[in-house]
Amino acid sequence: MSLVLQGVASGVVTGCVYALVALSLVIVYKATDVVNFAGGELVMIGAYLGLLLLLWFQLPYIAMFALVPVAVFAVGALFDRITLRKVGGRALAKHVDLVSFVVATIGLSYLLKGAVRVVPFTEEVRRLPPLFSGPPVFIGDVVLQRQDLAIIAVTTMIMLALWLFFERTLLGKALRATSQNARAAALVGVPVSAMRMAVWGLASAIAGIAGVLLAPKLLMTPDMGAVVMLAFAAAIIGGFSSLPGCVVGGIALGVIQNLVGIFISPQAIAVTPFFVIMLVLLFRPEGLFGESLALKKV
Amino acid sequence: MYGAPPPKQLAALGLLVLAGFVLPHALPDYFLYIGNLLMMYAVLALGLDILLGWTGQFAFAHIAFYGFGIYATALLNMRLGIPFVLGMPIAAAVAALIGLLIALPATRLRTVYLALATYAFAECAQWVFRTWDSVTRGPDGLRMSAPQIFGYMVGNDRDAMPVIAIILAVMLGATLYLVRSRLGRAFCAVRDSEHVAAASGIDVKRTKVLAFTISAFYAGVAGGVYTLFQSFVHPDGLGVWTLVLVLTMIVVGGSGTIGGVLLGVLLLGVLPEALRAAPRGLLVWQEFAYGLILILAIMFMPRGLWGLVIYRLRRKARRGPPPQAVPVPALEREP
Repeated sequence: MSLVLQGVASGVVTGCVYALVALSLVIVYKATDVVNFAGGELVMIGAYLGLLLLLWFQLPYIAMFALVPVAVFAVGALFDRITLRKVGGRALAKHVDLVSFVVATIGLSYLLKGAVRVVPFTEEVRRLPPLFSGPPVFIGDVVLQRQDLAIIAVTTMIMLALWLFFERTLLGKALRATSQNARAAALVGVPVSAMRMAVWGLASAIAGIAGVLLAPKLLMTPDMGAVVMLAFAAAIIGGFSSLPGCVVGGIALGVIQNLVGIFISPQAIAVTPFFVIMLVLLFRPEGLFGESLALKKV
Repeated sequence: MYGAPPPKQLAALGLLVLAGFVLPHALPDYFLYIGNLLMMYAVLALGLDILLGWTGQFAFAHIAFYGFGIYATALLNMRLGIPFVLGMPIAAAVAALIGLLIALPATRLRTVYLALATYAFAECAQWVFRTWDSVTRGPDGLRMSAPQIFGYMVGNDRDAMPVIAIILAVMLGATLYLVRSRLGRAFCAVRDSEHVAAASGIDVKRTKVLAFTISAFYAGVAGGVYTLFQSFVHPDGLGVWTLVLVLTMIVVGGSGTIGGVLLGVLLLGVLPEALRAAPRGLLVWQEFAYGLILILAIMFMPRGLWGLVIYRLRRKARRGPPPQAVPVPALEREP
């Protein structure tokens, strides 16, 4: 029983990271109709930038934690400004648009992965030092590392900040208007293309933070962007359009994965997210929280 | 664009087969290997393009069908002793059948949802190849025995080339007829607008399912071709990386055009070999190079290289030859 409890607890922790990455994917999708297959690589460069700043420039942890989102924000915003604006600015058939966007983000993902791989710094497999170190914390029978608590705390803070940002600030409202109906937003004076850039930057920054949080728990390799599929699964559970859905989806997925590992087989953990994606899309394509798929933007 | 393909294109198929018989006597082994590899990618890419470029369905499951083709052909040969000539069509039919079964639920989905569902299917298939030890030998990879064709052992690239050239010629010919057929035009109609297609009496769902099935068949054939010139298959080669490679070929060459797909296969199939041959081993840059090529291609050549070439040619043709000074007849000249 304690094994199961432990599995659930650590599932919630990893689920928080999946939820962050899923948020990053869904924010981008809602605002710009782009499925970001490079989301995982943004997580990965977030982690490597953190490592670089800590070990190479010897910066304190707090400075690194502040600088990484800024740098990854710039990567995302520039990608939108340079590539996506050009790709999306053409009047081509709708399916061509989707394919072009996806291909562009796949291009970005290989570009980032390739760039990290050729840097000699990445040849050794390293581990990012955790945010807080110290003896693990016991809650009943459940053991949690301090880093796990930090992950839950930071994730909660980011989600609160996002909620406040989208609900209470003018910029957040402009972003929401852009994602609901870009044409109408433009008519009331929202600078739509600047908003798209901001969304890409914001989403990338979230992914970068997720990288810094995740990296201490994993071995860092240029392939750690594979975590994006877990985020896709989390987002799909949430319907790919609802932000609270992402959070619930992420945490549910983290827990499901650990339970599969305990009750079925550790080998099956790797295939769980894909199974979840297929099952959800097969039986409830709009997700557990999403609006009906028939609803279209004008 | 319908009716029989122009004789020029059919003659090119004949040339391809001829080259398949002649080149093995003229080129060193390494070039023959690359030639076989390119021809296999051509079958794979033509199949994916039927789904992506002609029908406009963005699906990732192609790589799984390719894997089924490889394992089915190899295992039919090794376990049941079924010769290649029978085994490959059976394997391709199995791949097509699985494609059909996937298509039935998958065609209810569109855009992102379709892409993600088929991506998930491809990952699940790769996981099966990796985990089902007793059949696929799992992560150790499967060593395949050389296939036999009418008692003639195909053991190396030299023997395999004529066979592969014939298979590619048949598939290419089939594609030429397919895209000009009623079904091929239905594919394009569904791609351009499902509503208009339905209003013109096209059964959209059936057309999509057929596109999936046919595309899976091509992938199965490509898998069979793989067993002709490779002796080893590993699940790692059946992942997203290979799919992205094929996708890059189509996008860079020009999706929805046969010439463009072949052009893309040629350019991107040769690229890793060129990087390998370059001094100071540029192969580590491979991923970076593919990423950059994909981004630049999608930014500056939305219709691929082929589209760019055709566009230039058409514009030139429309303008006609540059106007020349018309000589004024002598009588009309001012004295």
